[in-house]
Amino acid sequence: MSETAQQMARATKQRWHQGGRARRRQVLDRIATGTSIAAGVFLVLVLLSILWTLLSRGLAGISWATVTHSMGPPGSGGGLGNAILGSIIQTGLALAMAAPLGLFCGIYLSEYGGKHNHFASVVRFVSDVLMSAPSILIGLFIYQLVVVPWGHFSGFAGAVALAVLAVPVIVRTTEDMLRLVPTSMREAGAALGAPRWRVILSLCLRSARQGVLTGILLAVARMGGETAPLLFTSLGNQTWSLRLDKPMASLPVAIYQYAGASYDDWVQLAWAGALLITCGVLMINIIVRLSARR
Amino acid sequence: MSMAPVPRSSKRQLGLDVLFHALFWASALLVLLILGGLIVLMATGGWKALTTFGLSFFDQSAWNPVKDRYGALAPLLGTVLSTVIALLLAIPLAFGTAFWLTNIASSRLAAIIGTAVQLLAAVPSIIFGMWGFFTIVPLVARYVQPFVNHHFRHVFILGPLLKGPPIGTGVMTSGIVLAVMIAPFITAVMCDVFGAVPPMLRESAYGLGATRWEVMWKIIAPWSRNGMIGAIVLGMGRALGETMAVTFVIGNVTSVGWSLFAPRSTVASLIALQFPESPAGSLRLSSLMALGFTLMLLSCASLVVARCLRGGRQ
Amino acid sequence: MNHGPTTLAEDVADSGEEAALAVKDLNFYYGDHHALHDITMDFPARQVTAMIGPSGCGKSTLLRIFNRMYDLYPGQRATGEVMFDGVNILENTVGLDVLRARIGMVFQKPTPFPMSIYDNIAFGVRLHERLGRAEMDERVQDVLTRVALWNEVRDRLKAPASGLSGGQQQRLCIARSIATRPEVILLDEPTSALDPISTARIEELLDELKEEFTIAIVTHNMQQAARCADRVAFFYMGGLIEVDTADRIFTNPRQKQTQDYITGRFG
Repeated sequence: MSETAQQMARATKQRWHQGGRARRRQVLDRIATGTSIAAGVFLVLVLLSILWTLLSRGLAGISWATVTHSMGPPGSGGGLGNAILGSIIQTGLALAMAAPLGLFCGIYLSEYGGKHNHFASVVRFVSDVLMSAPSILIGLFIYQLVVVPWGHFSGFAGAVALAVLAVPVIVRTTEDMLRLVPTSMREAGAALGAPRWRVILSLCLRSARQGVLTGILLAVARMGGETAPLLFTSLGNQTWSLRLDKPMASLPVAIYQYAGASYDDWVQLAWAGALLITCGVLMINIIVRLSARR
Repeated sequence: MSMAPVPRSSKRQLGLDVLFHALFWASALLVLLILGGLIVLMATGGWKALTTFGLSFFDQSAWNPVKDRYGALAPLLGTVLSTVIALLLAIPLAFGTAFWLTNIASSRLAAIIGTAVQLLAAVPSIIFGMWGFFTIVPLVARYVQPFVNHHFRHVFILGPLLKGPPIGTGVMTSGIVLAVMIAPFITAVMCDVFGAVPPMLRESAYGLGATRWEVMWKIIAPWSRNGMIGAIVLGMGRALGETMAVTFVIGNVTSVGWSLFAPRSTVASLIALQFPESPAGSLRLSSLMALGFTLMLLSCASLVVARCLRGGRQ
Repeated sequence: MNHGPTTLAEDVADSGEEAALAVKDLNFYYGDHHALHDITMDFPARQVTAMIGPSGCGKSTLLRIFNRMYDLYPGQRATGEVMFDGVNILENTVGLDVLRARIGMVFQKPTPFPMSIYDNIAFGVRLHERLGRAEMDERVQDVLTRVALWNEVRDRLKAPASGLSGGQQQRLCIARSIATRPEVILLDEPTSALDPISTARIEELLDELKEEFTIAIVTHNMQQAARCADRVAFFYMGGLIEVDTADRIFTNPRQKQTQDYITGRFG
């Protein structure tokens, strides 16, 4: 009797036994899992390494003078004030141009661009091409379009270049967000006798405003860190210049000029500027993500 | 039919409706014109160079401002090589990270890591350039290059590929920096693609006793193949056109050769560096424009491919 | 491990039949939500046991415990005992791949893998066994024949499985799950996405499969339970109200709640 019980137990154990094949598969799974986690950790470490590099090299360069003094010759105790101001002016102006254009285009694509509207399909594709176009080419384009006819570099040209970068981002988010507005809201508005433009502007756009604002903020973040398109358009300037028809300083271009310099105080300023710009851009992204989660 | 007069206000409203429609339409047209203008102005700008050199513009390696002879081979090769290296490194990084985030990590951990990866994608490219120049370049010069020079010098094929002066800048370094730049971008798209796999499909594979890796590699990956390729092609488009990060670490020498550790230049970095020295109307500037036009075509082509693959499913 | 066989023996003595799965004092939690309360029941070997009840009653949850599918999701946990072949499968020492090879599952919707019909069957087999080409061909033909799919697909085994109709896909999924030679098959509303004709074919199939396999099926369709099942368990609000032979449940249930449910007064 006890022998049969033992035999039974042995047979059971045999049926539950994991063979060499199973063990090999588990080892492979562990290796793959470990490698994947390592890949993810590596990317996080890159982010931390970048932040650490910026903080350790840039923090020392940040002082009141950094933001209040204008750029100057090496050793003169210059700051980045004019570059920061220039960046704000150009980004602001670019936003003033890009936001309405991007909004209206996004509205067109979402509200009038049905499946059979070929014009809308083309515009949608073109907007995607613009979004992924190398930013340096945008700079060359605006150089040809604005700088060459005017005969000189200008802050205005820089703003136009940034605007071209921002438009496709705003178009895409506006269209996506408006598409999330339920059709019933449009129908309800129309049933009350509201004309189409009012339904779009005061119903759809209002209910999608959070998402649209997100898109605009992301566009600002993208513009704030761009360097390449400004090299050929606003060029950079060493002084406090507020004139849009003259070359204008900007933070990324100033960083680019100073980072490769052989003067210690310039390099220090470049790192301080890099820290400022990264903090700004990451802050906008964090705000966007936090508000999106709510 | 009654002919009740249309109220004034309604007439005005109708007029406004037409007006707004026109406004929206005009905005869309303007976006179209921007791209059209971009391509046309690039083409006309590069016309002089293309007519002067003809097709030999693309197979000449010389970039010689003294003799006013310009060929696109060196920057094109640099662009292609650094993009290929970037993709070879970024694809496993992104695939692994996306596998971790979508199939292994708990949702709270995935949210944190996902945010970090998104932030990495948002870091301005010039910062990647500076970071690469001060962190990766010394690393490559001090450790990687002496190591590979010592061990692989006489190895067939690998030897010539890996030799070079230990200065740290070059195609390999720019490929590394580009890889960590585009990896978070590819990761985000891959996460979306993997997230779209029906949970029931995953569960039926688990139900047969498959491990996580087997489910990923044999079920999820084939299911989302097109989406993954689309993500990779989009990342490739970014790597092709990246300027600031590359300019800092590639060494900026217009030459052609097999070594991956020798300084080179890419289309975008060459444009950024040579532009200030190229007077308006010169053949040199026109050559840069022609390069830009070529880059635009590459970028467009990669987007078309990505689009066809993403739309190809369903 | 040691007390395993005796528990099994006791259960056999209790029900008078051999129990393939013996559930005892089983509780299940989704995080803080207590989804199953003190479930105790047997699944007799080579019989069809149907689980019915209004949606959210916990019947699917119970099914997913048997192959430890809940392990995929952090925060879900089970306490108690589910004895299967002398082992409490809730214990962490159980090899999940062996468990899932021995307890197969079929889902609400057909889930063909993105590969050929042949590879869909071979996928699960290859995970656990090393078979030669001829043996694999034989296995594929065997299981496809048993789900009455062989004649329909014999000429296109290399074609993608997604090209099959919904009913064919679901039979393919059943074939796939019996290809690993399991002892128990779990079916989670397997016909809810199918048309009546396909549904009838699957039900016929269940009748044949129970000769060899123990079958646990979750269904929202009481006619289906009446047609296919030997035993029926009625669940309500995470509790097992009543389990008995199908005849008894549908003609003369003991509990009033069961009566109300099967006469359509709620749910």
